[in-house]
Amino acid sequence: MADVLFLALSVLTIGAAIAALELRSLIYGSIALMGTLGGIAGFFILLDSPFVAMFQIAVYVGSIAVLILFTVMLVKRELIFKKIEDPKRKLAGIGLMLIIMVAVGAIILDSGVKTITTDSAPVDFREIGEDFLTYYWPALIAMALILAGSVIGALVLARREDTVENGQRTD
Amino acid sequence: MSVIAPKFRLAYFLKSIIDNIFWAIILVTLIGIPAIQIGLFYGDLPVIEGELLTAFLAFTWLFNPAMALPLVKSLIYSDLFRIAAFPGFGFAALIAAGTIFVERKMLAKLQLRVGPFYCGKIEGILQLAGDGLKLISKEIIIPAKADKPIFWAAPVLFVATAAAFVSLIPVAPGGWVVADLDVGLLAVFAVIGFFPIITVLSAWSANSKYPFIGGIRALHQMVSFEIPLILSLLGVVILTGTLNLSEIVESQHNFPWIIFMPIGAIVFFTAMLAELERIPFDLPEAESEIVAGWLTEFSGMMYGLVQLGSYVKLYAFAALFVVIFLGGWTGPVFWPPLDEQIITTGLEISSYTGDPFLTVSTPGLPLFDADPNEWILQKQGELQYTTGQLLISGVVWFVLKTIAVIFFILLPRGVFPRIRIDMLLHIGWYKLIGLSFVNIFIALGLLYSGILGPEGVF
Repeated sequence: MADVLFLALSVLTIGAAIAALELRSLIYGSIALMGTLGGIAGFFILLDSPFVAMFQIAVYVGSIAVLILFTVMLVKRELIFKKIEDPKRKLAGIGLMLIIMVAVGAIILDSGVKTITTDSAPVDFREIGEDFLTYYWPALIAMALILAGSVIGALVLARREDTVENGQRTD
Repeated sequence: MSVIAPKFRLAYFLKSIIDNIFWAIILVTLIGIPAIQIGLFYGDLPVIEGELLTAFLAFTWLFNPAMALPLVKSLIYSDLFRIAAFPGFGFAALIAAGTIFVERKMLAKLQLRVGPFYCGKIEGILQLAGDGLKLISKEIIIPAKADKPIFWAAPVLFVATAAAFVSLIPVAPGGWVVADLDVGLLAVFAVIGFFPIITVLSAWSANSKYPFIGGIRALHQMVSFEIPLILSLLGVVILTGTLNLSEIVESQHNFPWIIFMPIGAIVFFTAMLAELERIPFDLPEAESEIVAGWLTEFSGMMYGLVQLGSYVKLYAFAALFVVIFLGGWTGPVFWPPLDEQIITTGLEISSYTGDPFLTVSTPGLPLFDADPNEWILQKQGELQYTTGQLLISGVVWFVLKTIAVIFFILLPRGVFPRIRIDMLLHIGWYKLIGLSFVNIFIALGLLYSGILGPEGVF
C-alpha cells in the first residue's frame, strides 16, 4: 500500500514539477507548482509526520503559491518573457539533470537506505517543540527575531503617511 | 388562460413513462446488478449480531422493523454515514440551508420589510426550495473567453474545500467527527488556505473585469486576515497543550475559554467575518460597486454551488468558534439518568411476592449505542448515562451554540455599512494582529503564573 502511494505521489510530484517548468501558460504553471508542493506534503504524511505536512500545505500551498499566482496575474508576460527555443540549451539542461540525478542516486544507494518503515507511530509534535526549546534554542531565537522583524517591517510598510486628521484620504 | 403543456396527449405521456421504465430495467439489469455483485465480491460485509450480513439477509431484515434496528445501527456507525450525513456534509448543508432562510427573514424584520412571503403558506417557508429548483433548472452560461477547465472546477472545488473544513469539526462526545486528527487545528489552517486560491483562480478564469477586481480584493482580504485568525487561536493552544479539536473541547468541561480569552474571541470573530466576506467586510462581493464581485459570471447551479459552499463555510467557522471558545458540546445533560437495569434487562414489574412477572424492554431507546450487548454507561459525576443520551444532549448544546454564533455573524449585515479597503487592511494589520499578541501574552501569563494550563489550578 505504502509503495503504491509512494509511486503515485512521486509521479504526481515530478509530473507536476515538469509541467510547472514546461507549460506556456503561467497560471497553469503555478497551479502545477501547487501540485508539486502538495505532493511533497503527501510525502511528509507518508513519512509519519503530519505536523510538517500540514505546515507544508498551509505555508507553501496556502501562502507562497498564492503569492506567485498574485504576481503572475499582475504582470504582462509578453513584456518580460521571450520565447527562446535553443536545442543546445535544451540538451545541456537534460544533461545537467541526468548528472544531478545520477549523483543523488549514487548518494542514496551508498547511504544504505533501502526501505521505509511504514508501521511506526507518527512523530509527536510535542517532541519537536521540546527539542526546539532545549537543544535548538538558538535557531528558535533567530527565527523569532526574524519573524518579529518581518511583522514590524510589514506594519511599517503598511503605514500611510498621507492621511489627514478625520481619517479621509487626501488623494 | 394559458395552458402549461398545450400539446398534451395522454398516450404520449404514457408512452414516455413506459419508455423510461423500460430503460431503467435495461440499465439496472445490464449495469446495476453486475456492479452490485462485483462490489459485494470485493467489499467487506459487516457482521451484525454474530451473523455475516449478506445482501439476502439485509433485504430480509429490512421488512421487519424489529430486525431492521441493528441494520440502522450499523449504518449509523459506518464511515459513509459520518462523511455524508451526520457530522459531515449533510448536517452542515442542512444548517447552511436554514441559515440562508433565517438570514433573509431576519434581515427583513430588522429593516421593517416582510421578506420572503408567498412561497408556502407560512411566512414563505418554501422560498428556499423554490430558489434551489430555479437554480437547478437554469442554464449554465460560460463566458466566451473564459478559461473553461478552471471556471468549471472552481465551484466544485469551493464546495469540496468547505466540506473538508466541516469534516474536521467535532460535533458530539465519543468521536463524532469525520477526521479526528492529532493536528486538527493545523489542518484547519491548511484547509482555510485553499479558499483564496480557488477564489482568485475562478475570478481570473472568468476573463471579465468585475470578477477579477473582486478576486483580487478577496485575495488581499483573506490572506491578510489569516494571520490574526491563526494568532488569535494560539492562546488556546498554549493553554491546552494540544492541537486536537476534540481534546480542546474536553479541556473546557469546567468553563469555556472565552471567559479567560475574550480578546482572542473578539479578534477571531472579526477575522472570521472577513474570511467569510460578510458585511462589513464584503468588499469582494460589493454589489453596489462591482456587480457581484467574483461571483458575477457564475450562473445557474454553479452560482448555487458557490453559495452552498460559502454557507457551509459559514457553518464551519461558527462551529470552530464554538469548539474553541464556547466549549463545543459541553453543557448540562438534560436527559434523566438511567438505571443500568432499565437498559440491560428492561423495566421489571413485580407481583406481591416480589418475582417479576412482566418485563418492559425498550428496544428503540438505545438506538444510538454502539454495541447493544455492552452498555457503555458513562459517569458524569454521580449519574450514569448511555452514550446515546450523551450524544443527543451534546448535539443539542452544540447546535444551539452554533446557531447563536451564526446569528451574531448574520446580525452586522442588517446594521453596518461596508468599509473601505484601506480601513479594512488597517484593521487587519494594525489592530487585530496587535490584539492577538496581547491575547497570547495573557495566555502566557496565565500559564506561567500557574493558574491555568496543564499544571494549573483549574
